[in-house]
Amino acid sequence: MKGTVGFCDGVARRDFIRVGCASLFGPAAYWSLPSLLGSAARAGENPGSADARSLIVVFLRGGLSTIDTWDLKPNAPAEFRGEFQPIATNVAGIEIGEHLPRIALQMDKFSLVRSFGHRNSDHGPADHYMLTGYHPLAGFNPGLSPNNQRPSHGSIIARQLGPRGSVPAYVCVPDVHPSGGAAYLGPASAPFSINADPNDPGFTVRDVLPPLELDPHRVENRQALLARVDRFQRTAESRANRGAKSVSVFRERAFQLMTSAEAKRAFDIHQEDSRLRDEYGRNSLGQSCLMARRLVEAGVRCVTVQHVDWDTHEANFTHLRRDLLPMLDGAMATLFRDLSDRGLLDNTLVLVTGEFGRTPRINNNAGRDHWGPGFTVALGGGGIQGGRVIGRSDARAEKPADDPYGPEDLAATVHRLLGIDPDGEFYTPEGRPVKIVNDGRMIRGLT
Amino acid sequence: MLNVWVRIRRDSTATMFGSGIQLFLVGCLLLVPCAVAMPDSPAGPTDESGRRLPNFESIRVEPAELFLDARNREQGVIVTGMTASGEMVDLTHRVAYASSDPGIASASAGGQVSAVADGGAELTIEVGVKAAKVQVRVAGLATTRIPDFDNDVVPLLNRFGCNTSACHGKAEGQNGFKLSVFGSDPGTDYGALVMESRGRRLFVPEPDRSLLMRKASGDMPHGGGVRIERRSRAYQVLREWIAAGAPRSDPHAASVVRIQVLPNRRTIGPRGSQQLRVTAEFSDGRTVDVTELARFQSNNDALASVDERGIVVAGDAPGQVAIMASYMGAVDTFQAFLPRLEMLADVAPASEVNSIDTLVHAQLRKLNIAPAARCDDADFVRRAYIDVIGTLPTAEEARDFLDDRSAGKRRALVERLMVRPEFVDYWSQKWADILRVDRRTLGHKGAFAFYRWIHDQVARNRPIDEFFREIIAARGIIEQAPQARFYQVSGNAGDTASTLSQIVLGVRIACAQCHHHPFDRWSQDDYFGMAAYFQPLSRKATSRGELLVYAGGAKATNPRTGREIPAHPLQTPIPPAVADGDVRVQLAQWMTSPQNAWFARNVANRIWAQLLGRGLVEPVDDLRETNPPSNPELLDALARSFIEQKFDLRRFLLTITDSETYQRSAHPDQSNECDEQNYSRALLKRMDAEVLLDAVCQVSGVPEKFIGFPSGYRAIQLWDSEVDHYFLKLFGRPIRKSACVCERNMEPNVGQVLHVLNAPEIQSKLAHDGGRIAHWVETIQDDAAIVEQLYLTCYARRPTDEERTVALEFLAGVAQRDGNRSDFRRRAVEDLMWSCLNSLEFLFNH
Repeated sequence: MKGTVGFCDGVARRDFIRVGCASLFGPAAYWSLPSLLGSAARAGENPGSADARSLIVVFLRGGLSTIDTWDLKPNAPAEFRGEFQPIATNVAGIEIGEHLPRIALQMDKFSLVRSFGHRNSDHGPADHYMLTGYHPLAGFNPGLSPNNQRPSHGSIIARQLGPRGSVPAYVCVPDVHPSGGAAYLGPASAPFSINADPNDPGFTVRDVLPPLELDPHRVENRQALLARVDRFQRTAESRANRGAKSVSVFRERAFQLMTSAEAKRAFDIHQEDSRLRDEYGRNSLGQSCLMARRLVEAGVRCVTVQHVDWDTHEANFTHLRRDLLPMLDGAMATLFRDLSDRGLLDNTLVLVTGEFGRTPRINNNAGRDHWGPGFTVALGGGGIQGGRVIGRSDARAEKPADDPYGPEDLAATVHRLLGIDPDGEFYTPEGRPVKIVNDGRMIRGLT
Repeated sequence: MLNVWVRIRRDSTATMFGSGIQLFLVGCLLLVPCAVAMPDSPAGPTDESGRRLPNFESIRVEPAELFLDARNREQGVIVTGMTASGEMVDLTHRVAYASSDPGIASASAGGQVSAVADGGAELTIEVGVKAAKVQVRVAGLATTRIPDFDNDVVPLLNRFGCNTSACHGKAEGQNGFKLSVFGSDPGTDYGALVMESRGRRLFVPEPDRSLLMRKASGDMPHGGGVRIERRSRAYQVLREWIAAGAPRSDPHAASVVRIQVLPNRRTIGPRGSQQLRVTAEFSDGRTVDVTELARFQSNNDALASVDERGIVVAGDAPGQVAIMASYMGAVDTFQAFLPRLEMLADVAPASEVNSIDTLVHAQLRKLNIAPAARCDDADFVRRAYIDVIGTLPTAEEARDFLDDRSAGKRRALVERLMVRPEFVDYWSQKWADILRVDRRTLGHKGAFAFYRWIHDQVARNRPIDEFFREIIAARGIIEQAPQARFYQVSGNAGDTASTLSQIVLGVRIACAQCHHHPFDRWSQDDYFGMAAYFQPLSRKATSRGELLVYAGGAKATNPRTGREIPAHPLQTPIPPAVADGDVRVQLAQWMTSPQNAWFARNVANRIWAQLLGRGLVEPVDDLRETNPPSNPELLDALARSFIEQKFDLRRFLLTITDSETYQRSAHPDQSNECDEQNYSRALLKRMDAEVLLDAVCQVSGVPEKFIGFPSGYRAIQLWDSEVDHYFLKLFGRPIRKSACVCERNMEPNVGQVLHVLNAPEIQSKLAHDGGRIAHWVETIQDDAAIVEQLYLTCYARRPTDEERTVALEFLAGVAQRDGNRSDFRRRAVEDLMWSCLNSLEFLFNH
């Protein structure tokens, strides 16, 4: 056994093994001391392109109806197949829903796993299952925020890969999902939440810039003063206290972020060509996807975009046709095209999914209800071969018909593609070892 | 006297070899057993820096004689060099071993002796010119012995991690194969291996074709990878067991009675190492070396770590560490004492106020650490205010204290603070956190009532033992007994039992719900014995309101054995019968009794941690034998005085704040800058979210308005932990969903730093027309007076000459550039205060 007990903050004590006092408090760290130590340890073992890899999760909260989008069943009985017709895509033999015409032209850039499913059809637990790869255990309280019993994919990535450049490793747009937290990996692996909607006309990212009313020379004055006033910075007090040292380090990073051209550029969505902004769609989902691309471009490792309103219990077809699918169509199609045009797609894995699908059988309100057992997830970029369909669902899209995959497998696939060993272990505060991925297998045929 | 094993200090080594080389040498010497290389270096053993060790007075080899047989085929020795001055140095991996007859017993590097055939041999251990000899007897090796399932097979499943909670030990098993976690239920494991899966897991005619063997050895794809190499002894044991027909354990087979770690206590120098050996004593009197099968764990990896072979490696920081070994539910501990190498020059003995200082100084002397100087009055006043009442002193309060010339003013200050209303607010909030005054669960009214009850108890200075007894034995109409609200948040009987154990005793029993606690003595019977107290508890709606009903017949069922367990306290035998009536009353008495081994220690440790920034036991709610206090005598003494003071929080606080130890400066010197464990200096503590927000409000003179609370409420007065507030969330306010103090997140993050640097909310406080700065600029003409006021307000001290100069030059510069208009002056003072707010000296309690 590795003889490791986590602190309550989830920082495994192992991180500090054989790190002498001097180096423990020595010049260090980006966003956190642990991530620094983690990345230092990693440098030797993970050469190559993995270092440039990023993940974008587009999480369609409420549950995307995949029988109306990725996996139509035109031959199913009317109470299942719904109102939409399939259309051809730019990949021969793959058809998707008619309200995603622009995505259809990007089909070569991503693939569909149609034999996907899991055992939970409840928003909270299913969210946790999909965003962490772990089904929640007894005592799970979805009302908490964060509610993570296990770290989210983004936190794992932040912890294992650390930051790149002057931007945070893990960012949530427009805000953090309750299951997007770090659990026992601690706040150092917690997401940096934008906490603002990139579609707002006055969008800015909180606290990364000095208050507007301050003249630039005052900002300079202040920083110069701080350097002179903060005596502990100069004395042994900060060196000999871990918390104080972290604050010093975070302050450096904060100044770096404040003065970071990349971060400033990335956050300033107003700089984006307005035609491209239109193309992404002038809505929260579209602009969040655009922000995700900007962040990845700036070096962010994982961006989670969450978009609500997909819980179409009533008037499923109207909502999808009128509002939701046009948004998704613009946002996702443009994201893939844009990433590809910029040469970012090979290193950026994009996952588009809800926490579950929706009941293939249409309910009395022309809606579809929660459905975990069978749905489709879309994955592209980051080493995935586009234009493929993995697995198939049964005749009514209720369950996988062959080669079923679940959230564990998705987690294994995502982390493997990012260069993270899914069999690595973290330690809970009680000292329990927990694998990064709960025994998933790589989804076959994607790469 | 302690620098025997490294003659030359590390820094000089580094300059001679370069630190890289030094690290390389350390790596070689510590991690690769070097005995193999010893014959090539006849000069004798070397130290961690590759330097020759001194001659030893004597060499001790443990055990002094080896008896090997079919049960105990291999045994390791520990070789210790004793110097003239009595130092003991582990030489196990640095000496050569030779067997007089390798046909009887062979010896390998690292002191591992293996039986080959029956007979006698002599093991020679050479250390420089000295040699020691150990007799080895091998007997009955040929005896065919069928491995025993419980004693031989399950320990292997343990050792190779098959049954951990990450693998087959988790509740749902792994890929359909489930084992009991840590082998806590061998009977079930036997069933899983032998009966389940249509018997495919074991194939008696050809053991190698068993699924178990093929998976474990990597012959077949296995999610867990190769666990047990085909050539290994472990594989052989499994193979023999299967070949023998995979028998169930003999019910009369000897079982493990206890384990013993050798050595049990040692002093280790920086980056030094120590091999541990674990011996299991069985019920038939035999002892077996189980080092290879034991699990090891350090309670402070930053000080010393341990690997799976039982080799302890110390780091650079001084202190005391416990290494726990566990084997088949039995545990034992090795304690390492890690002093600094450099002796202290003749330091004048630090003065001692009470036994806290005596015991801390005794420890520091042994560690060669000098305590920091006494803090100055400014440090003390700020520290005492924050620690005791969660509030910054105002400029006036600070000035009064600094200018007070009376002796004993520090004690008098703490006494004054303890009668202030903020004291009650602050400590009520602390209790409300761990007792989980959670508005979402309790509702607005319930949470407020529970909080008011806690607040009343603190205001009345209710002794802590009575306070807990009231909660534990709460009953009646909940409206009239607000402390009964605890049972509305504490969950089912088992959760309630583990929550109370954690809060009141600092003992974690939750693990034992499903399996024997891996690092402690608690079994499922202990867990259900505690849970039984709360099994009869229910809530019933009546016309007078909700009623907490206790039905009597306190018992619970151990789901594994099906046995009915009557309620009984931890560490007491299971009573023969179920007692009548509300036995929580007895539980409350037992838990809070001065005789209880944990209660006084737990509460004293928590309060100590609150004031000193670190518990004697860490984490504070994990008291167990295998996680001993860093200074056991001190924890005992604190518990004793807490008991003598009849669990009076205020008196106890005063005992701590009186001590020189509490009053140390935060300024480290060379001897104590690596020490975060032994209270040689004041640690910097980040202020709690609520305290920091109040501090920002107080300093700026602009209070915060909280949603749902009347204006004037300070953050430490909020009884609801869910009040929507960005700052409080960002700075880690606890959410009160568990009894763990770890809910309060004190870890800094970049969002916090950005917030204080840039938040418009903070800027608007600085620039507020009704704020402190506007007032100063209006009423104080002299810049120097403003600067003094600023420093007193933020830091409770006057500026140094240099600081005053910096500030005055800044103000003068602004005046010169922008004219001496009051709006420019005001902005310049804002900038000064902003830099104070963002300084470590402000953000931390020091």
